[in-house]
Amino acid sequence: MSETQEKTSKTYDPFEPFRSMRDTYLDAMAKAMVETVNTEAYAQATGAMLEGYLTAIAPFREALDKSMLQTLQQMELPSRQEVAALAERFTNLEMRLDDMDAKLDAIRKHMEQNGSGPQSGVGKAAAATPTPRTGEGGDHETAVSRPGARQPFVRRKLSRTRR
Amino acid sequence: MEPAFAMSGAVAGFEKRLRTFNRVLTTRAPIAQTPKDLVWALNKAKLYRYRPTVDPTHQHRLPLLLIFAIMNRPSILDLRPGHSFVEYMVGRGYDVYLLDWGAPGYEDRHLKLDDYALEYLPRAIRKVKAIAGVEEFSMLGWCIGAILTTIYAALRPDEGLRNLLLLTAPLDFSNRNSVTFARWTDERYFKVELILDAFGNMPAEMIDSGAKALKPIENYITNYCKLWDNLDDPRVVESWHAMNTWVTDNIPMAGAAYRQLIVELYRQNRLIRNELVVRGERVDLGRMRANLLTVIAEGDHITPACQSETLLAKAGSRDKELYRIPGGHIGMMAGSGAPRTTWPHIEKWLSARSG
Repeated sequence: MSETQEKTSKTYDPFEPFRSMRDTYLDAMAKAMVETVNTEAYAQATGAMLEGYLTAIAPFREALDKSMLQTLQQMELPSRQEVAALAERFTNLEMRLDDMDAKLDAIRKHMEQNGSGPQSGVGKAAAATPTPRTGEGGDHETAVSRPGARQPFVRRKLSRTRR
Repeated sequence: MEPAFAMSGAVAGFEKRLRTFNRVLTTRAPIAQTPKDLVWALNKAKLYRYRPTVDPTHQHRLPLLLIFAIMNRPSILDLRPGHSFVEYMVGRGYDVYLLDWGAPGYEDRHLKLDDYALEYLPRAIRKVKAIAGVEEFSMLGWCIGAILTTIYAALRPDEGLRNLLLLTAPLDFSNRNSVTFARWTDERYFKVELILDAFGNMPAEMIDSGAKALKPIENYITNYCKLWDNLDDPRVVESWHAMNTWVTDNIPMAGAAYRQLIVELYRQNRLIRNELVVRGERVDLGRMRANLLTVIAEGDHITPACQSETLLAKAGSRDKELYRIPGGHIGMMAGSGAPRTTWPHIEKWLSARSG
């Protein structure tokens, strides 16, 4: 009896008797829909719907943007545009740092080849050895970034510039 | 007594099915599990290096850089343990890197294909070369990632790219009758500026619903019926769960890049005509030098074969191959048949050229 129960609990599906009928119907529908979405009429209809929706919400969006901007100004907080502009500047800075990073790599490599660098012999290993970086990464990723020996140097250069 | 037991068993079985169905639809499967290290980052982009699992003496000399589309997560390349392209390639001695573009925010709405192909990509490549200690490398681009890698390969043929693999590459938009997206984005019907004015970027939900609308019955109904029918098979359920986790994790596309994709590629078809101008440089496909493998999925409804086939005639590469495979846009790399068909072919092709 328990065997019967186990078997039943694994396989019982109330929709089973309708499965073949369902599949036949869905196949036919799928073909018809693929043909429908491939027509000019469908493209025109969806385009018109999207345009209608976006045109309809535009005045509300504009009003909301204006009132939000005023509120933020009154609270002496930066606007979305200002924060976005700041983020863009950060990215530009990141790019400059990345270029400096690469140039330092090239200088180190050159010094190693000439045997004149203070880190000659270890530079390449340092360049290839990732250093953990806090605040990033998931369960199976170790967050690493620039070679450990180089980062303090970049920071020193930046702080000197600021002074 | 027996009918009563049978009925309670049936109810318990049905309840179990419902629980499994609910779990799969409402939870996230653990995907992208292959161990990796973050080696470089710029803005939202991150470059990962997968930890080697084979002896260094058995490793291929050239690193392999994977570039996926800019409006989807790249975790599809590393879907789940035992069914991951990344894991497969790492296990065969490749030094694998993955460039994850990240999700663009409002502040990234001005990012163009130019920025991706000539600012982010070359920097990531520079890092790959520095870490690997080699001047040459291989690169795999999939979908929009294939557009970016093609642009890079044509504009920077002397920067060390030895092997270029393009998967379902949407490069030729001339056959408008076969490309449903081209029909939908026709300038008479589709107002790209209205969308970008409203949202800045192309919202993830709109990209997702657009892709699903290509095959609405399959994506909105049949897909779930298949899950329901196979709820007793844990392998199918876990596979479906992992794929659903990836499919539902969508990201927006940077506004300016989306505008370029629609206007300059879908409408004006500039890339294959060698008329696309990126950062003031004309993209001439005849300048491509890298060994080229183009993989086409014959059942691909997002990027039909006609969009990738013509590249071979245009590319300047001497060593070029077109490989056709059954399957869809995603299924050809992430489907159950991929480990037996697509992956071995890619690995064999690359292995012969990675020494």
